[in-house]
Order: sequence, then C-alpha cells, then structure tokens
Amino acid sequence: MKQWFKHIMASGELFIWGCGAGLSLSLLMIAGLLVLILINGFGYFWPADLVELTLKDGKHVIGQLAGEDLSPKGDRRIRMKIGNRDLYGLDFRWINGEQIVEQTKPVDLVMVERREWGNFYGRLRTLVKEDQTVAEGADAVWHALPSLLQDAYSSESESPYSMLVVDANGKEKSLTLSQVIRVFRPNDLSTLEKVWVYVGNVWTVLTTEPREANTEGGIFPAIFGTVMMVMIMSLIVTPFGVIGALYLREYARQGVIVRTVRIAVNNLAGVPSIVFGVFGLGFFVYGVGGTIDALWFSDRLPTPTFGTGGILWASLTLALLTVPVVIVSTEEGLSAVPREYREGSIGLGATKWETMWKVVLPTALPGILTGLILAMARAAGEVAPLMLTGVVKLAPALPIDGTWPFFHLDRKFMHLGFHIYDVGFQSPNVEAAKPMVYVTTLVLILVVVTLNLTGIILRNRMRRKYAGSTV
Amino acid sequence: MKIPPFTPIPAVQGEPSAGRGSLPAPVLAGGMISRRQIRAIMDRLASGTIKTGGIGIIICIIGMCVFLVKEVVPLFQSTHATPTEPISLSPPDRSFPAALVGIDEHQEVAYALRGELLEFIFLGETTSSTAKIPSQGLLPDGSVTALARALGKGHDLALGTADGRVIPVTIDFVQDFQGGERTISPSVTVGAPIVAAPTPHAISKMAYQKNESGGRIAALLDDDHLWLTTSETRSRPDGTAEASIIQADLTSFIPGRITALTLGSRAEILAVGTEEGHVYHLDVREPIQPVLLDTTQASERGQAITALAYLMGDRSLVVGSRSGQITVWMPVREHSKTNTTHMTLIHRFVSHPNAVTDITISQRDKGFMTTDATGEIRLHHSTSEQTLLVLTPQQGALRNTYFSPKADGLVSLSENNRLVHYDVQNPHPEITWGTLFSPVWYEGYDRPELVWQSSSGSDDFEAKFSLTPLIFGTIKGTFYAVLLAVPLAVLAAIYTAMFMHPDLRTKIKPTIEIMAALPTVVLGFLAGLWFAPVLERNFPAMTAMVLLIPLVTAGSAGLYLLLPASLRHRVRPGVEALLIMPIIVAVVWLCFETNAWWESFLFNGSYKPWLEAHLGLNYDQRNAIVVGMAMGFAIIPIIYSISEESLSNVPKNLIAGSLALGATRWQTLAHLVLISASPGIFSALMIGLGRAIGETMIVLMATGNTPIMDWSPFNGFRTLSANIAVEIPEAPHGGTLYRTLFLAGLLLFVATFLLNTLAELVRQRLRQKYSQF
Repeated sequence: MKQWFKHIMASGELFIWGCGAGLSLSLLMIAGLLVLILINGFGYFWPADLVELTLKDGKHVIGQLAGEDLSPKGDRRIRMKIGNRDLYGLDFRWINGEQIVEQTKPVDLVMVERREWGNFYGRLRTLVKEDQTVAEGADAVWHALPSLLQDAYSSESESPYSMLVVDANGKEKSLTLSQVIRVFRPNDLSTLEKVWVYVGNVWTVLTTEPREANTEGGIFPAIFGTVMMVMIMSLIVTPFGVIGALYLREYARQGVIVRTVRIAVNNLAGVPSIVFGVFGLGFFVYGVGGTIDALWFSDRLPTPTFGTGGILWASLTLALLTVPVVIVSTEEGLSAVPREYREGSIGLGATKWETMWKVVLPTALPGILTGLILAMARAAGEVAPLMLTGVVKLAPALPIDGTWPFFHLDRKFMHLGFHIYDVGFQSPNVEAAKPMVYVTTLVLILVVVTLNLTGIILRNRMRRKYAGSTV
Repeated sequence: MKIPPFTPIPAVQGEPSAGRGSLPAPVLAGGMISRRQIRAIMDRLASGTIKTGGIGIIICIIGMCVFLVKEVVPLFQSTHATPTEPISLSPPDRSFPAALVGIDEHQEVAYALRGELLEFIFLGETTSSTAKIPSQGLLPDGSVTALARALGKGHDLALGTADGRVIPVTIDFVQDFQGGERTISPSVTVGAPIVAAPTPHAISKMAYQKNESGGRIAALLDDDHLWLTTSETRSRPDGTAEASIIQADLTSFIPGRITALTLGSRAEILAVGTEEGHVYHLDVREPIQPVLLDTTQASERGQAITALAYLMGDRSLVVGSRSGQITVWMPVREHSKTNTTHMTLIHRFVSHPNAVTDITISQRDKGFMTTDATGEIRLHHSTSEQTLLVLTPQQGALRNTYFSPKADGLVSLSENNRLVHYDVQNPHPEITWGTLFSPVWYEGYDRPELVWQSSSGSDDFEAKFSLTPLIFGTIKGTFYAVLLAVPLAVLAAIYTAMFMHPDLRTKIKPTIEIMAALPTVVLGFLAGLWFAPVLERNFPAMTAMVLLIPLVTAGSAGLYLLLPASLRHRVRPGVEALLIMPIIVAVVWLCFETNAWWESFLFNGSYKPWLEAHLGLNYDQRNAIVVGMAMGFAIIPIIYSISEESLSNVPKNLIAGSLALGATRWQTLAHLVLISASPGIFSALMIGLGRAIGETMIVLMATGNTPIMDWSPFNGFRTLSANIAVEIPEAPHGGTLYRTLFLAGLLLFVATFLLNTLAELVRQRLRQKYSQF
C-alpha cells in the first residue's frame, strides 16, 4: 500500500486528474450557463398548460406551474404563475403541497393576453356589445371571439364589444376587446398547434414593441438599436483599423517606436470599457456634441440636440473601443501574406499601393473580416460605455424613420444588453420581468456567439491556409 | 512575428517616375497626364493617406489619455482671484462703528451699509458710477450702534440702535429680462423695529436671523446684558396679523465678557465667544427657555474670541481669535451609545498674523473667508482643511467682507471707504489628495473616516469624495474573482497544453474562446438574479462542494489507478477530464440534494446565525462570492488562453529530452514546463487582473453597490467602475463630482495600462527566450 502510494505521488497521476477536474469544472460551468439560458429563454415561448388547483379551504387557483421546491420548513411547495395582476396584485404564488386537494387541466380554461396588467387566466362567460349580451357560455363566446378580435385589432376605434371573464373563484372582470391581444385555450391545443403558437410567440417577441415597462411584448426596438449601432460602428472602425494596421506593418519604419505603439494598441484593448464610456461622454457628447449644438442648433438650446447621448456618439465610442481588435487582427492577416506575393507584384512593376490594394489586402481579407466580426461581437455585448453615451430604457422613436433626414443619428436608442440590465434590475416587478430578461439574454447570446463563431472559424481557416507559407 | 517586416521598396521600381526627373514623362495628346504619372501620384497619395491615418490613430490613443488628464487637472488647480479697480465711496458725514457690504449673485450690484446709510454700487457699467439710495425715514432718530447680517441665503440685515431697537432690512435683487438683456435692480424692504431688550440700552453687538414668521436677535447691550429676542407674526383668521415678542435674558449663562456672537442660519443655535476664549453653545429652539449645550475653551492661551460663524448647515462653527488663530469645531458624540455631544476641534487652519475681525461663509459649500485686523483676507475650505487664497487688497484695515452668493467673488469695504471686488475662480475647493485618499473628519461623524457619498437630499450637505473605499472595493472584487479564476484557469490550461488528447484539444479551445465572448451583462444578470438566490438557499451545499470536489477527484483518480492495467490501457490517454465530468456532476447534484443535511452538519442547522455567531459576519444576498463567481467566470477564458499559449510554446525538444531521461509526465511538467512557462502564466494573471479591475456590469448587477470597507465575503462593495456607471448620469458637466469620476476613470486607465504593459513585456521576453531553442 505504502509503495503504491509512493508510486502514485511520483507519477503525479493524481495532479493530472486535478488539472483535468479544473478543466471539467470550467467546461461544466459554461455548459450549465448556456443550458440555463437556453431552457429559460426558449421555454418562455411555450404555451404551457393551465392548471386548476382545488385547495383544502375550497378555493380554486388557476395558473401555470412555475417550479417546485422545499419550503424553509421542508415541505414540498409549488410555485404558480397566477397572472391577473389587476385582481391579485402578484404574478406568482407559492402553494404548499399538502393544501392541494385536486389538480386538473380543464379544457375551457383560457389565457387572455392583454395590453395592460399582464395575462388573465380564467374562464369566458359572456360577450357583450354595448350592454346587449351577444353570446353566453364559455363555448359560445369562444367561437364568437376570433372574428371579433380580428376586427378589434384592425380597426382604429375602440371596439364596441367587451367580454366578461371570471377567475378561478368566480370573480368577474370585464375586458373590452381593444384591450385584448389574443385569447387561447392552452389545454385544448394539440402539440402541433402548440408548436404553431410557439413560433408565433417567437415572431411576436422579435418584431413588436415592448409593453408594460418593457416586461412584456417584444424587443424589436432593442434588436434594431443594437444592429444599427453595430453597423454604424463597423462603418467607422473598418477603415480606421485597416489604415492603422497598414501603417504599422507596411508603411512605418519598424523600430522601437512602432513596437511601443503596437504594445499601446494591444493594451488599449485591455482598458476597461467604462473608461471609454467616460471618454465618450466627455469628448464626444459634451465636447464635440456641445460644439455642434452651439454652431448649428443654437436655436434649440438649452435643449441639446447632439450635446446629449445618441446613437452616433455610442457608435463612435464603441469604434474607439474596438479599433485595437481590428488593428491586431488585420496586422495578423497582413503578416500572414507570403513575402513572395509582394516580391512578385513589385517585380512585375506594380507600385507599392497597387501591391497593397490588389495583392496584399485581398489576401489579408480574412484577417480583416475576422477582426471586424470580433469587433462587432464585442460591440454588441458591451453595455457600460453605452449607458453613458446614449442608450435609454425606452426610446420614443427608432433612429431610422420616414421623416427627414431619415437617419436620426442624434436620437437615443435601445440596446439588448442594456435591456437586460434595465428590465432585470430597474423594473418594479422583477419577478414578472424575469422571463423577458431570459429571452433578451438568449437573443443577445445568439447574436454574439454567432458572430464570434464566424470570426473564430474564419481565423482558424486563415491560419491553416497560410500556415505553410509564413514559417 | 517570424518574418522580417516588409521593407519599403522605392515607389516605382524599374520605372522612372516623373517625380524623380530621370526621364521626362511623355506628354500625351490633349495635355493628359500619362498613366505612369497617375500611378505614381496614386501611390504617393495612398502612402500619404495611410501615414496620416496611422499617425492619426496613434495621436487618438495619446489624445484619449491627454483628454482624461485634461478633465481631471482642474480639480487640483489652485484658486485664483482677479481684482477689479477699487471704487472710492464718498465718506459719510458721520462716522459709524459698523459697516456691512454685499453683492448680488451675478456680481453686478454691490451695496454698502455704513451706519444708516445704504448705498448701491453698479459694478457692471463704469467703475465709478454709483447710485445712492438715501435711507432717510429708515430711522426716525438715534444712531446706529451695531449691524448684523443673517447667515445663509439672501441679504437680510439688521440695524441695532442706541435706544435698544433692531430694524430689519432686507435687500432683494430683482432680475428682469428684456430683449435678451438682463437688468438687475435692487429693492429694499424695511421691517418694523423690534425692541431687543426690556431696558432701552444701546446695542453694542448682535446676531440676527430671519425666518418666515419673524426674526430672532441675540443682542449684547452696553450694560453687558445679553438678550435673546424672538419676534413672531401670526396671521389671524380675520386677516389681521398678530405680532408677539418673546425675550429671554441669557446673561446668566455666560460669565465672561462677550466678544463675539453668531446665530445659525435656522436660528436654532447660538454661539457666544468671550474675552477668556470660551465659546458657549446654546440651543435656542425654545425662545423662552434657551439651553446651554456646551462650553469649550476654543482658543489657545485664553485669547479672546473675536469672530464666530456657523458654516452652511449649522453644524460646524468657525472660531477666530485675537491671536489670529482659525479653527473649526463640530459637535461630536462622546460615546457611540449616548447621544450627548460636545464641541470638538476638527480642523485647524494656518493662523492670521493678527486678530481675526470678520468671518463670512459661503452659501454654496463648506468654505468661508476670514479677515484680520491688518486687512488680510483668506479663503478656506473646511472639509479639505486648506487655505485656498490669501489676499491683501488694501494697505489698511477692512471693515467688512462678503463672499458672493455663488462663491465666485468677494467684496470688501476698507476703513478709508474704498470698495474692493475680486472675481474668485474656485470651482473645486473640496478636493485635495487628502480628501480623496485619506480619512477626513466629516460633519456628524465620530472620527475621521473614508467615505464616498457624493450627494444627498439637502443643500447644505457636505460632499464626501473619498476614492479609497472604491479602490478597496475594486481590489476586493478582483481578489475574489482571481481566487476562483486562477486555479481553475491555470489547471485547465496545464491539462489542455500538456495532457490532453490533441483531438479533444481542437474542440475545447474554441469552446473556451466562446466563453470569453459572453457579454458581461449576461453574467451579471445571471449572477444577480439567478445565482445569488441559489447560493443563498444552498450555501451549505456550495460549501460542501468546495470541500468535496477535490476529495472526490483524488479518490476517483486513486480508484482509476487501482484498476487492472489491461483495463486502463483501453482508455485513450488524455481523456481524464471527460471521465471526471460525470463524477463532478454527480457530486454537485448530490450536494444540492443533501443541502439540509449539510446545513445541520456544518452549520448547526442554520448557516446565517452560525456565521453571525462564530465569525461575526452578516450574510447579504448579493455579496462578494457571487461577484467573485461571475467575474471569475469572465476572466477564466483570458487567463486560460494566455497560459495555455505559453505552456504549449515551451520548446518540444526540451519536453522530449525530459521524458526520454525517464521523468514522468508530471515530473516534466513540474520541473520543466511550469518553470519555463511561469512568466507566461504571470502575464496571463496580470491581464486577468486588468480585466477584473475594470469590469463594470457584473459588479453593478451582482452587488449592492454600497461603498463600505470590509473584507467579508458575505457582503457587497462598490468598485471604481460601477461607481462611474452609477453616478456619472447625475453629475453636472464640469462639476466636482464629474471631474472626480473622470479621475476614477483615469485611475482605471492607468492601472490597466500598467498591468497590460507589464504582461506584454514579460511575454515578449519569454518569446525571445524560446526562440533561442
């Protein structure tokens, strides 16, 4: 035994396993995180069944199951999303397992999606048109509803119809159809229909405006803001990054100064993003923006036009933040271009610029693209500098619209990352907002990971392609 | 880089260009330039553009640093005062013992009250133009024997007469905008005289304060009696007003001869200074029953107190003595449990060479001005304990000085009836290196402390700009992040570089790179909203995991080695990490399932009381462990990538040599690879530190952001970066808070830049070393 132990210590197998455990833990953490986001994010869209509980005291509860755990006393309890915020004031409720007498899924339970107060869970009772009952009974109302909702949705004016719904314990609530977005019976849907509803939900979230202090509805303005900000940033960062890299690698005299500059550029990538935000606020917003306002928009002062945060300033700040990424990657691309290419080109009588433009840059294109994509991914995920330079929780208008001059670079905008921060941490009802945050997170992660994967694959391919010629 | 950089070759090789003049360029028909010339021009244009652009970018980077410095520097600039031409006022026909001066907030109209003569001086137009407002009717008879100004906002003055009455005078400056021009016109309101004492004696000294319903006067009569008089006007339901006067004799409280008096701006406290150097502190909220709070010997060697004034907020008392000494006193609690306070010397300023005659306070901050008998004016700031300015406007004594309402100017009236006016540039008096980094004794505190509290609800708040708690928070956050990240990342890097199967390696590395790309806002959100509650519920299980995972790893490795060799050799080498994965998952799941058991086993049934009782620590939901996890997560990839790179760059022939000599994989690693790659791992650590220092969103979302200084892992903190994000939206452009936050940004910039440069230099040296093999 002793010998065996000695042998083990000498071979160090134990430590190797320890190293392996370190790697496993890191990988498990990433996997866990991704799974957590995927489950919560994708789960949001699924039309879960409505459950009706009968409690010991004879009361009923209708809602969606939202988890189960042990109470501090050690009893099993379930968490229900009970909706009906206007009636109960809460969205979620804990129910002790022992209180539940019966758990059913009646087909006639409806989920009403409303413009205000969140979802309503309950039963349909009557349909009323200006005090006249049009349909009575759950099924009659259910069959009459679709066409009426269609009308209410398409017409501008207030719908004359309203419906009477009851909650689990028979409490009545009247809803005008203009308030209602849609009504469905989740328990009555087949799996295929549920998939259809699911796809519809995804589409709604991606294309509509937020409601209820951003906790419901869609995230379209945030997606649009993020994409547009990244686009503007790319337009700025690409030429500057490429010119910078060309200068450093091809035009500047190699020496101590260029080496120092290269280190400085590298280090700039490590400077905290909030510092760029501070710089952007001081320089772009107050400095440049303030000057523009004083020169051209003085009639609107003291209301600032460019002298306050806006999409242009945010993009410029992020361009500054990501320029090192582009420079470093482009330089790598340039250095991977085989020397023979240049010599051949020069030998055939091309000028230096022609060699650059027609031979070196096209060959280094994957490097430039990698840099750009990584820069875009970084920009899409940054939040701290944006908070100082123009992102808002709810922008009244998109930065592009039909009024002259169509592009409104002075406007504030919404951003997926900031949406996460704002909805998750600044909203009054964090618990109800959580699903929305997971969805936003999912969208952001998909965008960032796609961009990154593209960048990484492109880079690896480029490295492999020129691996032979660079050595 | 391995290839030598591409050396520039003459612009157009083999082709003589026009620029070189070796051959005249052939001129084509129609005066067109030759193709060759166009190409040469294009080439030069391009290289010009690229060089300009490249240098531009470099200048941009330097410019960024310069800009940050430029925004910070005004914090530390010294105070300047620019005098304007003194204005000679015509001497009054009688001489009066007292005089007061003042100026409006735009520093356009000054006034001088000498005895009963009130004079307005318009500074804006020509310096000599003055307009007199005769003050006849102000006093029916009698002469003015004392003057007083109410502390605080507005121009509420009071005249004390020889027959013991006090006449309140209020000066208002009315602004009028017409056609974009601002005109300021003064107006004077004279109130009904108040009888200051039951006996008609001349008032020799007084303090005055006005409030909505009336006024309060502390008057020293020439019979050496001190009277506190409160006048109140109540409107009755029928519309008429009822005036009442309450008088109290304070003489019995103060044994010595009174030499100075002041009433706080809310007229709730009265300070009285005596010939012997005592300061008596009275609570006068109850006009009938004033209470003596405290007696202090406030000057050295029993020098007489010659001037007193409460700073804005009525907490700090400035005391000036006959020897020129200036001190600031505050009520400080004697014991942390009792509420009794006594006046304590907090700040001491450089002494005047002569007796202090006058103290005038700022209405903006905790600044004040002192004037001495020889006519020297000094500007001080209480919190930062610095004397900002020393002025000697006249060769001769000054009668009264006034600090302009916006604290950007002063006016003073000299004995020879000259009015001097200074513009003062003093934007950031509260900032010194001391207030930023060392403990400061703030108002209401028991001892000097390091506090960050930039704003509060009230106007008279003393801003506390200590960066130390924030730097502490930054270090604390970084420490906990590194505690998690370094072991995991370095172990993972060692495994990937040295032991892992190459096929696996090509898949693992991109996965970790993806981890680097996760937006920190996502990590912050999960840490704050998901992990923090999970940790709070399962803290015992998490503790158990920390203990169990290494044990189980060691155990399973031992078991694996006990397997018969034939079985072991079927497993490919380099897949230990995959084998251990299900075991770790099982341990984690098991720990969560047995949380309650662990809680009773490790913490006697409930961990929060246990922590409180045994370690004296409070558990906050969003604490340093949560941040450490999330931030560790954020920096694992970067530490991993750089360490892995430096480990796998260790020359292969060295490793082969070591293995060939009979060393095991582990011995090779421990005695060769780790040692030669340690600079690379060090630089990975530096870069990871740099990331953690500046991380904003995670800290913002996963801690409570309270700027406290405590190493406990179970409570929150506030970092420099989160502080910027929290406070800069509220900071007015160019203000002290704004610039202080820029300073915080600059600190972050410098710290990360230094760390990264260090790391980069180490890496370059390492690369050079390896290239020798």
